[in-house]
Amino acid sequence: MNNRFVINYTPGPTYLHQLSGFTKVLLFIVMTVAIISTYDVRILWPLFFICLAQMISMKPNWKPIIFMFLFTFVTVTLLGNVMLFVVSPDAGLNNCGTETIIWTSKTGRFYISKEWLWYVFAVFTKRTASFASVMAFALMTTPSEFASGLNKCGMPYKVCTIISLAYRTIPDIANDFIDIRNSMMMRGVELGKKASLGKRLKNNVTLLVPLIMSSFGKVTGIANAMDLRGYGKYKKRTWYAEHEPTKADRLVRGLTIALAVLTACYIVWSKAIDPWPAKIWCPFSDPSQIRNVSLEESFFLFRWLKSLFQ
Amino acid sequence: MAEKSLGQKLLGVWNTKTIVAVAIGAALFGVLMVYGGIPVTTNTNLTTAMVIPVVVGAFFGPLPALVSAGVGNVIADLIGGWGMWFDWSIGNGIAAFFVGLLPVYGAYVTEGVFNWKHAIIYAICVVVGNGIAFGVVTPIFTTLFYGGDLNVTFIQAIAGSISNIAVELVVGIPLMFILAARSKSRTNLKEEE
Amino acid sequence: MEPIISFKNFGFKYRTQASPTLYDINLDIYPGQKVLILGASGSGKSTLCNCINGLIPFSFDGEISGTLTVAGIETKKSSIFELSQSVGTVLQDSDAQFVGLSVGEDIAFAMENIRMPRSEMVPLVEKNASIVGMKDFISHVPFELSGGQKQKVAIAGVFANDVKVLIFDEPLAALDPQMGMKAVSLIDDLSKEKEHTVLIIEHRLEDVLYRPVDRIILMGNGRIVADTTPDELLKSTLLQENGIREPLYITAMKYAGCSLEGNRNLCSLEDLELTSENENRLKAFFTSAYQPLEESKAEPVIEFDHVSFSYDRQNLVLSDIDFKIRRGERIAIIGKNGAGKSTAAKLLCGLIRPSKGSILLEGKDIKDLSIKEIGEKVSYVMQNPNQMLVKDIIKDEVGLALQIRGRSAEEIQSMTEKVLKACNLYKMRNWPVDAISYGQKKRVTVASMMALEPDVLVLDEPTAGQDYRSYTDIMNFVNALNRDFGITILFITHDMHLAIENTERAIVFSDGQLIAADRVCSVLANEAVIERASLKQTSLYRLGVKLGLDPESVIERFISYERGLAHKEAAKDAAPSSGGASGSEGKEAKADE
Ligand SMILES: Nc1ncnc2c1ncn2[C@@H]1O[C@H](COP(=O)(O)OP(=O)(O)OP(=O)(O)O)[C@@H](O)[C@H]1O
Ligand SMILES: Nc1ncnc2c1ncn2[C@@H]1O[C@H](COP(=O)(O)OP(=O)(O)OP(=O)(O)O)[C@@H](O)[C@H]1O
Ligand SMILES: [Mg+2]
Ligand SMILES: [Mg+2]
Repeated sequence: MNNRFVINYTPGPTYLHQLSGFTKVLLFIVMTVAIISTYDVRILWPLFFICLAQMISMKPNWKPIIFMFLFTFVTVTLLGNVMLFVVSPDAGLNNCGTETIIWTSKTGRFYISKEWLWYVFAVFTKRTASFASVMAFALMTTPSEFASGLNKCGMPYKVCTIISLAYRTIPDIANDFIDIRNSMMMRGVELGKKASLGKRLKNNVTLLVPLIMSSFGKVTGIANAMDLRGYGKYKKRTWYAEHEPTKADRLVRGLTIALAVLTACYIVWSKAIDPWPAKIWCPFSDPSQIRNVSLEESFFLFRWLKSLFQ
Repeated sequence: MAEKSLGQKLLGVWNTKTIVAVAIGAALFGVLMVYGGIPVTTNTNLTTAMVIPVVVGAFFGPLPALVSAGVGNVIADLIGGWGMWFDWSIGNGIAAFFVGLLPVYGAYVTEGVFNWKHAIIYAICVVVGNGIAFGVVTPIFTTLFYGGDLNVTFIQAIAGSISNIAVELVVGIPLMFILAARSKSRTNLKEEE
Repeated sequence: MEPIISFKNFGFKYRTQASPTLYDINLDIYPGQKVLILGASGSGKSTLCNCINGLIPFSFDGEISGTLTVAGIETKKSSIFELSQSVGTVLQDSDAQFVGLSVGEDIAFAMENIRMPRSEMVPLVEKNASIVGMKDFISHVPFELSGGQKQKVAIAGVFANDVKVLIFDEPLAALDPQMGMKAVSLIDDLSKEKEHTVLIIEHRLEDVLYRPVDRIILMGNGRIVADTTPDELLKSTLLQENGIREPLYITAMKYAGCSLEGNRNLCSLEDLELTSENENRLKAFFTSAYQPLEESKAEPVIEFDHVSFSYDRQNLVLSDIDFKIRRGERIAIIGKNGAGKSTAAKLLCGLIRPSKGSILLEGKDIKDLSIKEIGEKVSYVMQNPNQMLVKDIIKDEVGLALQIRGRSAEEIQSMTEKVLKACNLYKMRNWPVDAISYGQKKRVTVASMMALEPDVLVLDEPTAGQDYRSYTDIMNFVNALNRDFGITILFITHDMHLAIENTERAIVFSDGQLIAADRVCSVLANEAVIERASLKQTSLYRLGVKLGLDPESVIERFISYERGLAHKEAAKDAAPSSGGASGSEGKEAKADE
């Protein structure tokens, strides 16, 4: 079960695993903000390697991670880029501000530019870094640490309990589904390999109603158990899962804050002090040649609306 | 029971039951998002997860629906491992808010009230909600956060909205009628010979 | 002394119900008392306790009449939170109760809510965990625990606050006999050490009386029927009248024609002082000649051929299991929590497939059959009823499988009616499935499988949480199926009464191994097996030892006497009904009068 969902319910033994929930959440937030704030591959690759190093240090089971990465790569990156090629061959121009065409189709409708390729590369980098940071966080954090750490970051504790309770029920939902499915099969509904695909699909959907009902049927019982133990009376609560900061915590928190400061400086520098003239930094573009494409030109909906009124 | 004010209907009553229900809704949303759908375009699924906000909304109101879809999407991102996509989480949350408006226009499903008039209003809310969420909100955040290409994002958003609307109407409306009928049979229970 | 709990002319009606569930309750409970609450299923025991802890009226809507004060506070003017400071409750459903993501967290849950600093919390959690014997499991997650272990965690979780009153709602329902014994001792120790006032709701009277209780309150149809001491209650006829099963040794004494007056310490077999007249009667009864139980010679229907199984490819949950079951036999599968009983049943139904060995059904390997195909021969009632219920209305749920198999409407109608009556659910047939108690849900699942009349019926804990009346009704119907149609029945159970009364052979599991497959009376008289399988000596066994007789023959004589009675009953019942059909129809006829 653990491996199928990449959820760690018990903290692992390595250095990063032993950090407190607050440290982990802080690190994750700063990482995420840093990755979101830039398209500059010169920043993104180092961030990616930091996350990768974190993952390696935790000695995870790589199989499901690699599988997920490949799955995402095929569905999001490959298919996404085919779509991008069809609808926005000018993405290079729109984002990098210049265009060096290297291939054109016979009709001239489709073409590839160096900048388009660069844009694809930059977005891929960003996605990969984002994937790595999520994976590192998921590997390092137990759901209780996630909840308690988030509460320490200022999230109201009721929202945090929602998260930990949700994780608490996920394995139950999976088991319930299996049981409901089995019980239907035992009563004579064929859901296994011996039924046709279409029938199997339809029958599986009909299982959803009992699954949803049985899951929501548990609400009263769980809520009563929580009320009976005094949940929700005070504005704050303490957390068993959130241990006091250790030396390691202080070190990592310090590094995280340094990273946050660096990120902030970078944002200020790149947006206000010395802004690159286009959206994305690109080694092939000569800054003096860059032309900024307005939204009306690049977005097909606006182009289309404009043509309607002319 | 006293009539609730509009504010209460919108925000929901956040007692322990609501919290637990939202949590279970989020868990179901997350699991169904990962395992209960078929991919349509990149980043979008024709997914059965979309009925969850309908149920949570019917029982507890729009804000709980929003939270369970939003948190559910974050959980799906974490367990599905395809990276964090806050743009879609926010979009799903906002769509869920509109979908979950049911008690606000008088469809008290828990008390057995749901008729064709409510179904029509519900359908309008579903279309409008998905339009706003995926036609406006998600593309804005996508370009802002992730630098996705606006054209591609928009096509994905349209595909996503259509599949969500389809699930929410085709599965959602019958489900509401079933739930309402169930709640109605839940009063004045007597033993019969 | 001031009572700690005081009901005055108290009544309660659920909002969804047409009539009240509790009437005219007048009851005072004093500090330090240990009280057992008995009553048939649906008599309002849980409702009564939920009034004390504040779930009524704050979580369940309804109307209260009269007053109830707990520790000097009137409950309806208080709140669940305030009451939770003085009342700790262990709910009937230990799964729902587990809200933390690990054992430690769950025990700490109440402390977190009162904002206890973590530095105080950690030692306290450790202390409470070691009180219930779960210290080594503090970092375990709920999915790794057996039902019994979850129950213990729930107990540790309630005394975070210094509560004065502890309520246990059916703490033994899912526990194996030895674990049940331990739980009873634990509760007893708690009530002595910490001077808690303790309220226990339980159907398993004999198991609770393993340690003394001060008072028994008997409920019937929402009223208090009796409020007395255990000895007095056992002597009276109130137990039968209210659908509670008496301890086995008392039944044996009645069969032997003993008078229950004049024996001191009737409620505890160890301290019981039998009058010499009774002692002679018992000895005469147990040594009289009886018809020995015969063994089935029919052809085997189920064969486990050296089967091993593991969920995670590392730890074998079942190893090298090898047994045969003959057509028409009634078998008890017993063993401690987590021994692999349910796993064996799932293997038989094809829900999971063996890692080694093979399973034969009517001589054919089930390897190539789908679950549906096996399901046409074997019906399995799962342990947890919630996972089997898919329809909304009870009647539809029971008819569902028949409908899927394309039976005619009339056939479905008559069959559902028959099984609903047998399971005591006919009056509720149009109720929604989620408005009934746990015990009633369990009966619905049993009914839906009995309706199929399969070749083999596997019942996983069919009687957990059932009162005696439902228990007997279900058993009568199952036995009729067995007798009239030759259906093979497998009971997976922790209830040794059930095994003694309704089965010929027992298959005993312990930690994934088959340790015995023998006649019930031999198994239950075998010290070594009892020890290894975490069973408990039944009170018959101990009665035999007390009388200086051979326990095995005592048990066998008892069973044979009971079977004789049952045969007479069946014959009497079957006589008035026309066709040769079943004893259950006779019962219906009686119920309709
Ligand atoms: N939440 C509820 N809403 C409506 N009716 C209820 C509710 N809970 C219980 N009842 C009804 O009240 C009656 C008493 O139920 P209660 O749970 O107190 O029984 P019990 O004696 O504890 O039975 P059991 O031994 O099966 O647990 C039942 O007839 C049941 O149908
Ligand atoms: N789905 C599962 N995945 C992994 N392990 C399991 C699973 N189901 C059961 N187990 C483990 O297999 C062992 C046997 O479980 P099983 O449910 O067969 O016990 P049981 O004899 O029925 O116990 P009980 O009397 O408590 O019902 C236990 O140790 C349990 O933890
Ligand atoms: Mg009860
Ligand atoms: Mg079991």
